[in-house]
Amino acid sequence: MQDWESQKKPFAAVATAPVFWLALFFIAPMTIVWLYSFGQNAGPADIDISGTLDNYKRATEWLYLSIFLKSLAVAALTTLICLIVGFPVAMAITFAAPKWRPWLLLGIMLPFWTNLLIRTYALMALMGTNGYMNKGLGGLWEGASWLRTLVGMQPLEAWTPVQLLYNNFAVVFGLVYVHLPFMVLPLYSALDRLDKSLIEASLDLGAGHFKTFMQVVVPLAAPGIVAGVMITLIPALGAYLTPDLMGGTDSQMIANVIERQFKRANDWPFGAALSFLLIYAMFILIALQSMRSNKVKEAR
Amino acid sequence: MDFKTFLHAGSNRRAMLKGMGVAAVGFSLTGALAGCGEKEAAKLANGEAAKLNFYNWDTYIGETTLEDYKDSAGVDVNMTLFASNDELFAKLRAGNPGYDVIVPSNDFVERMAAADMLVEIDKAQIPNFKNIAPEYQDVPYDPARKYSMPYTWLALGIGYRKSKVKSVPDSWKVLFDSDEYKGRIAVLSEAGDMFRLYGKYLGKSVNGLTDADLKMIEAMMIKQKPNIKSFHEDNGQDLLLKGEVDLVLEYNGDIAQIMSEDPDIGFAIPKEGSQLNSDNLCIPKGAPHPKNAHAFINYLLDAEAGKKITETILYPTPNAAAKALMPDDYKNNPVIFPPASVLAKCEYAKFNPELQPKYEEAFTRVRAA
Amino acid sequence: MFNRTAIAPLEYTRKLWMRSWVGLTMLFLYAPLIVLMIFSFNDSKRNVVWKGFTLKYYEKALNNDGLVEAMVNSLTIAFLATIVSLVIGALAAVMLWRFRFPFKGLVEGTMSLPIIVPEICLGVAFLIFFAKIDWPTDLPWPLNLSAITIAHITFCFPFVAMVVRARLASFNKEEEEAAKDLGATEWQAFRDVLLPHLKPSLVAGALLAFTLSLDDFVITFFTSGPDTITFPVKVYSMVRFSVTPEVNAASTILIILTVVLTFIALRYQGVKGISDAH
Repeated sequence: MQDWESQKKPFAAVATAPVFWLALFFIAPMTIVWLYSFGQNAGPADIDISGTLDNYKRATEWLYLSIFLKSLAVAALTTLICLIVGFPVAMAITFAAPKWRPWLLLGIMLPFWTNLLIRTYALMALMGTNGYMNKGLGGLWEGASWLRTLVGMQPLEAWTPVQLLYNNFAVVFGLVYVHLPFMVLPLYSALDRLDKSLIEASLDLGAGHFKTFMQVVVPLAAPGIVAGVMITLIPALGAYLTPDLMGGTDSQMIANVIERQFKRANDWPFGAALSFLLIYAMFILIALQSMRSNKVKEAR
Repeated sequence: MDFKTFLHAGSNRRAMLKGMGVAAVGFSLTGALAGCGEKEAAKLANGEAAKLNFYNWDTYIGETTLEDYKDSAGVDVNMTLFASNDELFAKLRAGNPGYDVIVPSNDFVERMAAADMLVEIDKAQIPNFKNIAPEYQDVPYDPARKYSMPYTWLALGIGYRKSKVKSVPDSWKVLFDSDEYKGRIAVLSEAGDMFRLYGKYLGKSVNGLTDADLKMIEAMMIKQKPNIKSFHEDNGQDLLLKGEVDLVLEYNGDIAQIMSEDPDIGFAIPKEGSQLNSDNLCIPKGAPHPKNAHAFINYLLDAEAGKKITETILYPTPNAAAKALMPDDYKNNPVIFPPASVLAKCEYAKFNPELQPKYEEAFTRVRAA
Repeated sequence: MFNRTAIAPLEYTRKLWMRSWVGLTMLFLYAPLIVLMIFSFNDSKRNVVWKGFTLKYYEKALNNDGLVEAMVNSLTIAFLATIVSLVIGALAAVMLWRFRFPFKGLVEGTMSLPIIVPEICLGVAFLIFFAKIDWPTDLPWPLNLSAITIAHITFCFPFVAMVVRARLASFNKEEEEAAKDLGATEWQAFRDVLLPHLKPSLVAGALLAFTLSLDDFVITFFTSGPDTITFPVKVYSMVRFSVTPEVNAASTILIILTVVLTFIALRYQGVKGISDAH
């Protein structure tokens, strides 16, 4: 790590564009919404910025905190499943022959170039009461029933479709489907160029594949895992479409509540306060983490 | 070739796109970079460019209406779509990005008029207003039709699968207060509509709910929640058609559309009465082509044009002259035109800035419970 | 791939469990797409029951000027937003990785905020922002896409920065110092040593940015005008009455188009580039 003052020119070269963009096209627009969070509706389309803290008081009520905690749990579960499913896939891409690698990568990404809404509807067509997954399961069930009659046993009772949609299971399933590549890509980019001699050495020294994986591969992939968890967990926390379409009567997530404030309730100040509570929490988390890792680096 | 003129050159644009199909997409960039000058669109006699931006719901216009209008008036109508009133309102709140004619529902006409977002309609420019049935010429949500012209109207009711219900569901009780059809019901996710209809079930006016009523309704909703399969996003007709649910809270027009595909579907407006809804043509403040907008609204209210629109969307029309041209199976369809005795018990929902956030918060509690 | 030599310990891709794991994941990812594609040939207005084969929805989708225009807009925006986000994101990552400067924690936190801000909140922020500064809306194509593109870059580049930063952690600084000792300038060291190391993360970041931009609805909705409709905005308003085969047909065309374009790109540059990086 270098001090910026000793390297002013290179620092300016890399810092100007990101900082300028962030200030002009992110901080400036968000400041307006931030001010709204201290205001109240003064008509259907007017907001009076009065400096009130009522919106924050409302936003920290248990009702909204409990929805937030539930969303966090759903997003965390989604991220965990994505990590478990995605890690072997990222490893497979890393260890594939070089000519196959771009195609595998593309294979993971391709489904995501189809519109999210269309994909969600297609997934729902698969999972519905009369969908293909239920038809497949029903076929297996009837097959089993037929086999039982062959050996002279009573056939199974008639197949009743499994309720796959409109519950919390469907929400997690849908979120994993949507967020998987967000996990695979950073993992791949961190694992690639992994020093394979380390794995070989570990195997030569008698460690099993699992032990090698846990003690050599995972630590080496740690930065990728952190990046993957971040860019899976946070967008999953902000998901609103999947719970809206695939969820049941109790599957609302915090992003649904925020969306409704900006749209149906037409209560922008309250929506802004809810959004900014989320932002404050995350901001503190990230800033703390950054300070800590910087200290660790300096200590080295 | 200049890409902007290519995309907006009207008749030859259609022909070109037909010819080029997919290739148009691939070559977009090269085409765009080839030239950037823009030709002025042709001027009309009224001094405006021959262009109009129409912001509408999907599948809410006749198959050929826009082309017919171009042939008769020479104006190129650019129709873009929105999916809900909330979106329409949120988008126009900060300023009009260039729309000339929009189609808000009744309570949003009130809301937008209150927010000074609508242009007063000059009836002298809309001679076809005479085609509108008298009961829609003056409505409570827009007295004397100052800001809006009626386009369609709708009523909420219960769509159901005939073979799966014991009797015609003629009361809100089956949806709101009974476990008879447990797990086979879908209701709306729109908080305001839900609270108002519960109010109707309790024998109150949709516009007369008090805080105590809201509390009671909230408790009823929480009690009923285990029997409900899903709060749908106005796609209840699909859930019904797919067999996901057997009873659904939906608009009559939406159910009428799927009844032609599946004879096992029925629709009833409960005996307690229901909520009416009406979509209206309005001109937002800041519209770049207000004269064209008036002329276009006038065209949509024409008898022949109205008939073609109604043939496609199959919603009830407030246009008496257009209705007269429709076949009997539309005019006499009790789903599309419920009997007068039923309609007498139905009401329009008023825009209520105090209650709306309360509905939302209570409904959030219901969902979280 | 199919030779019969014994499987070496590191040839994970040739192990059965690994192959079936990848295979199952692919099945999970592609099954809905296959259903979608099949239903684009369905001779019914709704995606519910199979009623017979037809190509009429392809004809309809291609004749729907609005839909084709929206696809052109979407691809253009995604293309531009990806390039700019890649540059800004990579610069941001290098800045945070390499330099120590005042308020670094604050800058780093702010840099990741666009990922955290709920989409609708950012959308509304841009809606008011562009209205307040009177951003012109009636420019000729493609300049009228500028507002949407700017918004997309804002939420895409932090993702690129995050992926690139993770990759930088494995960079061996001695390589760069060696290059400088051998007389390379700051810029040459960056271009010839650091950049090649970053390549996989740049590819991953570009894929992420492209995907996010191509699929964004909420923020685009609030920054678009009557002449700047993108594919997701068009689709969201069209599926109010459920997905029609026309939308499925349009999506199928878009899938095939992106596959072909990427195939060409990979064929002529990518494969070599990505394998070289190894």
